[in-house]
Amino acid sequence: MAQRAEQLDSIIRVITPENIAFEYRVAGPFRRLPAYLIDLVVIFVLCFAISIFLIPLLFVSPGTAMFIQLVSWFAIGWFYCGVLEAIFNGQTLGKWLLGLRTVNYDGLPINALQAIVRNLLRYADTFLVMAGLLVMAMNSRFQRLGDLVAGTIVIVEERHWLTGIAKLDDPRAIQLAAHLPPNFVISRSLAKALATYVERRRFFHPVRRREVAKHLAEPLLARFGLPLDTSYDLLLCSLYYRKFIADRGADERQFAAATQAVGPPPGYGQPPYGQQPVYGPGPGGYQPR
Amino acid sequence: MKVIELLERRRQNWQELERLCDRLQMSGGMVALPPPETARFAALYRAACADLALSDAYQLPQNTVQYLHRLVGRAHNQLYQSRRFDIAAWSRMLLYDVPQQVFGDRCVQAMFLFFWGTFFLSAWLAYDKPTWPEYAETVIGHEQIQALEEMYKDPIDGSDRGGEENTAMAGFYIWHNAGIGLQCFAFGLLVVPGLLISAFNAIFLGAAFGYMARPDVYAQQGQNFFHFVTAHGPFELTAIVLSAGSGLRLGMAWIMPGAWSRTASLMRWGRKMMPVMMSAVIMFMIAALIEGFLSPSGAQYWLKAAVAIVSTVILVLYFGVLGFPRGGRVLAEARA
Repeated sequence: MAQRAEQLDSIIRVITPENIAFEYRVAGPFRRLPAYLIDLVVIFVLCFAISIFLIPLLFVSPGTAMFIQLVSWFAIGWFYCGVLEAIFNGQTLGKWLLGLRTVNYDGLPINALQAIVRNLLRYADTFLVMAGLLVMAMNSRFQRLGDLVAGTIVIVEERHWLTGIAKLDDPRAIQLAAHLPPNFVISRSLAKALATYVERRRFFHPVRRREVAKHLAEPLLARFGLPLDTSYDLLLCSLYYRKFIADRGADERQFAAATQAVGPPPGYGQPPYGQQPVYGPGPGGYQPR
Repeated sequence: MKVIELLERRRQNWQELERLCDRLQMSGGMVALPPPETARFAALYRAACADLALSDAYQLPQNTVQYLHRLVGRAHNQLYQSRRFDIAAWSRMLLYDVPQQVFGDRCVQAMFLFFWGTFFLSAWLAYDKPTWPEYAETVIGHEQIQALEEMYKDPIDGSDRGGEENTAMAGFYIWHNAGIGLQCFAFGLLVVPGLLISAFNAIFLGAAFGYMARPDVYAQQGQNFFHFVTAHGPFELTAIVLSAGSGLRLGMAWIMPGAWSRTASLMRWGRKMMPVMMSAVIMFMIAALIEGFLSPSGAQYWLKAAVAIVSTVILVLYFGVLGFPRGGRVLAEARA
């Protein structure tokens, strides 16, 4: 995590009062523009609806109707976004729909003052259309002028599904795990690399998997004394299985079960080009809901 | 313990926290959870925080770590909500911070001199018909003058226009004038457009006042004009100067940042000037209310003049007395 924050991307770290650092993704102009457009549409629809609603009153008392209409135009046009952000914890309707939220520079919620000021200054940001975009491009947190003055940022509130442990689709990985040297300790960085690879491997074609896995698997095969034509992909899966799913004792039991399922241990050769891998419920693999 | 067992154990907690977040989020933070669930939420949130803090030690897979980041972020946003309107904090801000900030602010002072200097210069040029006969017509424009004279040709007693039109005009003033003031403030941040708008307002208003004060015009439309503008004048003009001045201060913050970077300087001054802007907005609101309801009404001139005098006194007390530097200020700044 420590190295993530120094990356050149739009992730910022927030230290909470609980002394935990977690990460936010800052929303760029092209996420925020649609939210703003939605809000603009809502503003127009609201103004229009008020006008329609006032039509009956127009016959009774045209002056009052005009008054209500102009005052509500003024209030909605200038304060719609600010008031909504103050009440709904940094979200207007557009932001709510697109999963954005305005927060303080240090990740805490904004107060009413900030919400109103940053939205009043929208006029300066839309000056010559480009002013806000230009300012956004010049700082690392995509703050427009109103954001800078109010000390706020807009973040993405992503939904991220809990995927758990990746499913292993090939029981041979478990068999191979039994052949790994028992005293081999999987280091922290290796575990990270294994997890990243196995979680993503289902998006790759077997040939591509082989190419990616080669760099890690080739030296490991030589070190373990396994036949060099062992499938690289399978080796990484078995290491992953060893590290994340089962310990050595469970390995033995699973090994027996897997042997029964597939028959005698085959050679762990590369799958022939074009052959579809066997998909099945991975033994011990956690099923995402 | 293997990662898969750990995940299996924690999964229940995380998903429960997620469900609570969903419920809070759907209600937009308007509905509080019942107390036992609130306590549960806090406990779950702390547990998720701890899991995230230890994720590296547990060697959780990257996907799960990212999931935890999002989960803790969501729960954090629900736990720490935007503060509701806090009367004590707002009154301290408006009655202490703002006047103190404004009194010694060079930008507000400069804008005050600039606005009123331009205003009176323009008023005098428009008033002095023998020396500058063309000035008022050139600045305001012939049709505008016609419109102004048409607007103020009848005395303002609320009689001829009728209540209906009166109310409609009140709405128009709020919409138009307060809108101009807020625009003035927003563009102040960009300095050049802000100065141009302030100069234009000062010149135009000055010319209109000067023209209406000419002896020949005053006899007809002029007195109606002054009848109309007296009551809301102090608040509205002060609010324009204040918002333009604080806008200029922000503009100066990024033009001359001193030892700070431009962004940091803008953020620093933004934090200081936000209450000032808010007080300008409140002044616009007060001015708009007076302008909408008292000014076009048929009230006697002495009442309107009294309102103008009272509001002037209030403003002088506000900025002069509350804003006068106090002994404690140096201490307070040293502490801050």
